[in-house]
Amino acid sequence: MLIEIKALAQELPAVAGMQVNELCELSAALGFPVDGVSQEDGETIIEVDVTANRGDVLSHRGFARDLAARIGGKLAPLACPTLEEGAPLMPIHLRAGAACPIYSTAVLDLGEGPGTPEAARRFLASMGSNAKGFAPVDGSNELLFRYGHPTHAFDADRLKGCLIVRWAEEGETLVTLDGVERKLSPKDLLIADESGPVALAGVMGGDSTKVTPETKRVLLESAWFDARSVRATAHRHGLHSDASYRFGRGADPAMARTGRDLLARRLMDWGGAVLHGAWTAGEVPAAPAAIRLTEATLHRLTGSPISLGEAQPLLERLGFQVVRSADGLHAQPPTWRHDMEIEVDLAEEVLRMRGYDTIPMALPPLEGHPEPLSANYVQRKNLALRLAHLGFHQTVTLGFVSPELDAEFMSALGVDNPQGGRTLVNPLGVEYSVMRGSLLPSLRATAEYNLRQGAREVRLFEISPTYFSTPEGPQETLKLAIVWTGTLGGESYLSPARPVRSADLVGVARDLGLTVLPKVHELGEGVFGIEFPLGELGRPQERIIPAFQAFSRFPVMERDLSLLVAMDQSYAALREAMVQVLPQGTLQSLDCVDVFRHKNLPQGKQAWLMRFRFQHMERTLTGAEVDGWVASALKVAQGLGAELRG
Amino acid sequence: MDMSLLPPELCEAERGFPAALQACGDLDALMRLKGAFIGREGSHAARMMELLKAAPKEQKRELGAAINALKGQWEESIRIRQAELEDAKRKQGALAQAWDPELPPPAPAKGAMHPLNRLMDRMVEVFRPLGYHVEEGPEVETEAHNFDGLNIPADHPARGSADTFYLKEHAELLLRTHTSPVQVRVMQRLAPTLEEKGGIRFLAPGRVYRKDEIDPTHSPMFHQVEGLLVGKGIGMHHLKGTLNYAMKALFGPKAEVRFRPSYFPFTEPSCEVDVRCPLCGGDGCRVCKGSGWVELLGAGLVHPNVLRFSGIDPEVWSGFAFGIGVERTAMMVSQTPDLRLFFENDTRFLAAMGGLD
Ligand SMILES: [Zn+2]
Repeated sequence: MLIEIKALAQELPAVAGMQVNELCELSAALGFPVDGVSQEDGETIIEVDVTANRGDVLSHRGFARDLAARIGGKLAPLACPTLEEGAPLMPIHLRAGAACPIYSTAVLDLGEGPGTPEAARRFLASMGSNAKGFAPVDGSNELLFRYGHPTHAFDADRLKGCLIVRWAEEGETLVTLDGVERKLSPKDLLIADESGPVALAGVMGGDSTKVTPETKRVLLESAWFDARSVRATAHRHGLHSDASYRFGRGADPAMARTGRDLLARRLMDWGGAVLHGAWTAGEVPAAPAAIRLTEATLHRLTGSPISLGEAQPLLERLGFQVVRSADGLHAQPPTWRHDMEIEVDLAEEVLRMRGYDTIPMALPPLEGHPEPLSANYVQRKNLALRLAHLGFHQTVTLGFVSPELDAEFMSALGVDNPQGGRTLVNPLGVEYSVMRGSLLPSLRATAEYNLRQGAREVRLFEISPTYFSTPEGPQETLKLAIVWTGTLGGESYLSPARPVRSADLVGVARDLGLTVLPKVHELGEGVFGIEFPLGELGRPQERIIPAFQAFSRFPVMERDLSLLVAMDQSYAALREAMVQVLPQGTLQSLDCVDVFRHKNLPQGKQAWLMRFRFQHMERTLTGAEVDGWVASALKVAQGLGAELRG
Repeated sequence: MDMSLLPPELCEAERGFPAALQACGDLDALMRLKGAFIGREGSHAARMMELLKAAPKEQKRELGAAINALKGQWEESIRIRQAELEDAKRKQGALAQAWDPELPPPAPAKGAMHPLNRLMDRMVEVFRPLGYHVEEGPEVETEAHNFDGLNIPADHPARGSADTFYLKEHAELLLRTHTSPVQVRVMQRLAPTLEEKGGIRFLAPGRVYRKDEIDPTHSPMFHQVEGLLVGKGIGMHHLKGTLNYAMKALFGPKAEVRFRPSYFPFTEPSCEVDVRCPLCGGDGCRVCKGSGWVELLGAGLVHPNVLRFSGIDPEVWSGFAFGIGVERTAMMVSQTPDLRLFFENDTRFLAAMGGLD
């Protein structure tokens, strides 16, 4: 909301003596931070951020009222003599109950007056609104910014018979001021005459009854419409006007008559209009019931005693009618406050007036036992740290991807994961429309981006949820995905260059403690990725230190065996067969430690250097028994087609 | 010496000795040769001693002299060769050490945790000493948890499809717009045993979604850290004390906090919390737009309706909640100019901003 300091000072003279900074601080302390300060035509304008619950502050006078309460200042009297009301010149029927309890109006003949005065034009310019030079429009706008109450003027000669405030009927339409034909719903509150709808109540007037340069006679509208209904209609028709903004946040029903008077006065003063008559249908609704506030509540909320004697005048300054009794203060909110429902609402007002800076600081006592960090959280944090230490960069990518990319990966991963259940109704764009079934498409794109940026090697990981369609909705599974691509080494005299291979990722997966190794996916040429649910990593140890396990202090006996095997020999099968004939418990490890492929080897063969390590729990092994075991393993290998390489 | 006294295999060994000695290219090989010729057991020398013992008395003297001479000769030759090999090895070692240590060594690969994750982890650490643990909830949420349970009215604009992402085949499901639904989930879970537990306190870090176009200050996905404490007699002073501690722990002992009234449907009273600008210390700079303060989080006392929705009696229990914008905090402390950098995942950015702790 824009506030011109000069206009503000007209409502609250105390502001005139304030520094702009001081005013900004004060405003922020009341809950309305100032987003910017600017100069327009020599006037200082501040942009005040008003919270959604405070429609009553959305004007110079409304803002001044809160400031006045805080500093104990006095508002200038409303400079407007009250119009004398008489018999209705046209019947007005209120048929929407609480949605419109009061409707004030006046009929005036427009005259040949001097037009919108310079001061009002400049004020409107400060508010970012151009004067039309037309009193019914400029006057209505000016008093909206100044007093916050929306008003409207009809061309009285185009209204037929009477005015009715009612809910729309199915099938009714209205062409609004902006020239758009609106199909109305029974949930739309409207103003109608005998011929049909003439305005969307509190939102926008109709085109057929609008004031034009040819208009001779106007009928003014200054009513009060229910905030909820105005918000719904504005939303339904995508029609957000200054009027709907203020009514939608709660206007002051007591301003209905005053708003009418203020607008009529402007037409008379600026345009030389002549008043025919003023009247009001309905009444200001009864004020809401008083809310009780106790000292105990104030004490609980702040940790320090605040007496009711102190609280009472603070509430009264805000316009509350306060009665003090034995059981506390009973405060009836003023007509402009629609945000007061329960005791803490009142308490908040007391604190706001005293200033939040007066609330002391204390740490709450520890109740019950603190809980440990969840195993999931600890696992995830440790995992991220581990991968970072292994040279991987953690990424954060958007949770949604394009349907094509998602489908490509779901089919490549062989997962039946229908997209329908994971698709957004209202995505930012189709490329952001599916909650991803895999993290790999995002990581591939990130890896490729980094390669394009000239990275020599890219190691990435992400720990994020993926989504799986179920009849109940997408099921979230936290997964870890790792992608590795580019060239390893080659940047120091001790580490030769080589391309990243899928085996590198297998090594990492094994290092992380995966027992069943996930498939390595080649996501692009030389781009390798793995992905698996975090659940597969197994739980971290419950015990701080695991149970003691005895270990052997006897020497390790090592033997190497070079085998010639077929190019398509399965390593796992060969190794497993050999392990079967070796003494369990004494065999510490059996691994292929080198693969040799060369044209000098027999056609279709490769050489594997198998390394055995034996260690006995209770004695030193003899060379003869170790050689015997290796020989039996060799025999098994030979049974599978391997030969001893000479 | 008279070789005729020795059996032929020893003569053979004696003849082969110089060549075998010369063939020893390293100390290991020499040690094996030494064992074979002059070792205590099973060596040629040991065999000769056995022969001497068994020889007739009249030959012993002569044979003994011959054996000793031969053994002495072997020992001497091996000693000389050993000295040679040890010298060579020393020289080779010296050569290996002659690499200029300034030559680039092989560098271990260096990764990094994402700066947003680091910051969230740090926040968890900050709140740990106060007894907060970590709670989490799903990113695909129900309207009930995301809105209803938080006292957000049915016609609140935030519920509209212009602000919130909804799922096509599940009208009641949406992408959570804040981490506050975790409050609802945890309170509902703990409500039946609250008296026994004594209260609730936790942090809920996580990803949230709002329908914002991607630009330098907006992203459709971002992070929040939610905090909730429920106990008896909890007031604004507790919220102030807690956040005052936390901000000092995060930004240093000079970090002051300032509370301003605000409005959120799920808290009453509500407040915005400003922190004394960690960059300029309050003197005013570009980051704090000259004000000396930066707005970091929204907070307040849990609205009675929120407690009630989750089955907690607001006449007995009260609490506070706060929500910290992770990106906003990260951008502020690092002066990162563009939010999109956090989601672009350029490894140069991640390496510089993320780090390993
Ligand atoms: Zn600053």
